[in-house]
Amino acid sequence: MVKIDHLLSRVEKPGRYVGGEFNAVVKEWDGVDVKIAFAFPDVYEVGMSHLGLHILYDTVNRRPDALMERVFAPWPDMEHLMRREGIPLFALESRRPLCEFDVVAFTLPYELTYSNVVNMLDLAGLPLAAAARDDRYPLVIAGGPCAFNPEPLADFIDVFFIGEGEEGIHDFIDAFQAGRRQALTRRELLLVLAKMPGFYVPELYRVSYRENGGIASITPATGGIPARVRRRLVHDLDAAPFPTRPIVPYLSPVHDRAVLEVFRGCTRGCRFCQAGMIYRPVRERSMDRLLGLAEELLRQTGYDELSLASLSTVDYTRLRELLAALDARYRRERVSLSLPSLRADAFAVDIARTIQEVRKSTLTFAPEAGTQRLRNVINKQVTEEDLLRAVEAAFRAGWLRVKLYFMLGLPTETDADVEGIAALARKVLEVGRECGVPKGRLSVTVSVASFVPKAHSPFQWEPQAPLEVLAARQARLKELLRGPGLAFHWHDPRTSFLEAVFARGDRRLGAVLREARARGCRFDGWREHFRYEAWLEAFSAAGLAPENYAYRRYDYDEILPWEHIDSGVSKEFLAVEHRRALRGEVTVDCRGGVCTGCGVCPALDAAPRLEVGAGGAV
Amino acid sequence: MARYRVAYAQNGPARWIGHLDIMRAFARAARRAGLPLAYTRGFNPRPKMSFAAPLPVGMRGENEYVDLELEETLPTSEVARYLRHALPPGLELLAVRRVPDGAPAPMSVLDRARYLCHGTLTEVLPPAEIEDRLASFLARGEIWVARRNGEQPRDIRPGIRSIAVRSADGEISLAMELKAGSQGNVRPEEVLRALSEVLPLDPDSFDLARTALIARDGRLLWDCGKVLERNAQRNSGDFT
Repeated sequence: MVKIDHLLSRVEKPGRYVGGEFNAVVKEWDGVDVKIAFAFPDVYEVGMSHLGLHILYDTVNRRPDALMERVFAPWPDMEHLMRREGIPLFALESRRPLCEFDVVAFTLPYELTYSNVVNMLDLAGLPLAAAARDDRYPLVIAGGPCAFNPEPLADFIDVFFIGEGEEGIHDFIDAFQAGRRQALTRRELLLVLAKMPGFYVPELYRVSYRENGGIASITPATGGIPARVRRRLVHDLDAAPFPTRPIVPYLSPVHDRAVLEVFRGCTRGCRFCQAGMIYRPVRERSMDRLLGLAEELLRQTGYDELSLASLSTVDYTRLRELLAALDARYRRERVSLSLPSLRADAFAVDIARTIQEVRKSTLTFAPEAGTQRLRNVINKQVTEEDLLRAVEAAFRAGWLRVKLYFMLGLPTETDADVEGIAALARKVLEVGRECGVPKGRLSVTVSVASFVPKAHSPFQWEPQAPLEVLAARQARLKELLRGPGLAFHWHDPRTSFLEAVFARGDRRLGAVLREARARGCRFDGWREHFRYEAWLEAFSAAGLAPENYAYRRYDYDEILPWEHIDSGVSKEFLAVEHRRALRGEVTVDCRGGVCTGCGVCPALDAAPRLEVGAGGAV
Repeated sequence: MARYRVAYAQNGPARWIGHLDIMRAFARAARRAGLPLAYTRGFNPRPKMSFAAPLPVGMRGENEYVDLELEETLPTSEVARYLRHALPPGLELLAVRRVPDGAPAPMSVLDRARYLCHGTLTEVLPPAEIEDRLASFLARGEIWVARRNGEQPRDIRPGIRSIAVRSADGEISLAMELKAGSQGNVRPEEVLRALSEVLPLDPDSFDLARTALIARDGRLLWDCGKVLERNAQRNSGDFT
């Protein structure tokens, strides 16, 4: 057990490191067979908002023969003290060093946490390279959305888990125990795991490269393991466990409320979106199950806000009924309901109106592109009319502020599309004035992110727009959005550049991650810690040009770095979608009953599951 | 409406939690306990809770108080029973008693607090020598200290009511009674910092606990409000 009390009075937020929250599970160490540290490569407040953490923590800790504790990336003030005093990275529940665990399980929520993954291994005192860790060290596994292109972290991770973990984690623990009973060596255990569906052991796959920098082949280095690792998914979400006793942190996490996952998957088919591909098909929880879970969740946490989470909650078939039922049950108890993101249409605003009667702060929409042409390219099926009707409904219902999310640098984007963003924002402002929103209080905020091509999305072959182009378009937009009532927010395109490199990178980038960590790179998603110059030095020290990953157009017939990871959605479908995008053709949502042929259902023996609605559908 | 005073200890992990987070933790615990919390009116209704004094981050609290207002009257034993199991580790319920509606908020009658500070001397001194140095320290008319970040120094001597010392084998315990509340509050760290000029100690390494919160009339805050209650319904706090 590490001693940290003397450090705590010297760090910004000691509550990040002490655990002891309500519903935290502290098991008797010696009575448990398999000990897993769940590692989240960002700060506590971010990690504690991550639903995946709560799901796996609950799933594992329900087993009497296993335990899961938590560890987060220590903020640089704490890291500094830990390094100075030689204190290894420890888990919150038992305060034991990570090296005493059997397994360290990372989740990979976004690419900009990779430097933290490597740094946490270092802080834990583990050899960074998977190949350098022998039987004395914990097994290091990783999952989450970024595991769908695991290659940049291939050097550091023993096993990646591809897909949804509720069932896979049990298979893993069972295999681990069996391996221990049979006294398997680490290498023998890895071979066993590599034969199991959903488990990818990078050191058992060989990658060779072409002279132009692309990949020549990815092949199993040994017999009996699949050429492609197929994603796991939960077929019946109603039968899957859901954490109704999540840890209730003392410190306010980013999202400080109870989370109820209404459904998984989204088939709207936005072509830039990775999540919209890798979580298919749509599986809705039944309304009965949701109401039961909500009841238990609120009783066990004491939260006064319930967030109905999913990739697009407004699409839930029986949403109106669900909201009405929740409202009827919990209004008296002052529980407010929230939806994470809104579709830009009047129905969505109507829904928002029913759940936010009092506090009408800001309403957020994501049209993503400024012209209809470009919205068709990205398959964001919202028209200008939809949006304007939506904001009109919002202003009439009493909202004063509207926030609009866009992406810059989307494929085929021209200056006209950039100008379209500003024009759209001005129209929204105009609607607000017409609705009589007082001048001083009316505000329209435009927030732009830079497009990042993601593995397994229809835009996976697309290059990212060069930094200069993104900067110029941001500047142009900033100019166009001057004026009363308008505000403009943007993200640093350099972080998006780094994100693009790792999103489509291969395993050679492992060398860059080492170099970057050694140069002090961490918390790259945090403006105050992002060190672009150090990253450029790291690339040059590793002899790799980041532009070759971010700016290169990958060929349809080229072997992609993630070719051996099978999401269930066929590469042919992605290519068809990509071609349709370039022609400006939209593709429907299969919720309507028309199969778009993405391939996921036959590949994974799955099917969309929609609540049969009694008048809830729109 | 019914008002209850809850006595609790704050220790373990919870000592590292700031006051705002502790307030939220109490509100959630009350909801989990199913207590019918009363809420303020207005656009942003908040549970009616009134804490005696925020506990500084890092300090243990052995006897802290919060007043909760409920919409219904419940037996104190029931409030205690429900709340005890709903509190997170580190917030330990000690007792619950009724407080009459008209009683002043605990914060408004707070005058001073007692602390126990325990640490190691950086150099061993005989107990008599330590007591002498402490006595001459207290005999000063003024003691000027600055809080950490370049704040104006101020005289804390008027806020020091008493300091008693016990020491043995290089360990030292200081029991302090210091002014508390919104006016003239003195923190034990400040006293330790001033003391470190006359005694060989490192203020940052001390374990600090607040042991009692005391009203102007010298009673524990726990007991304030009892007088008003004399003619009202007798429901005083049995230590559950």
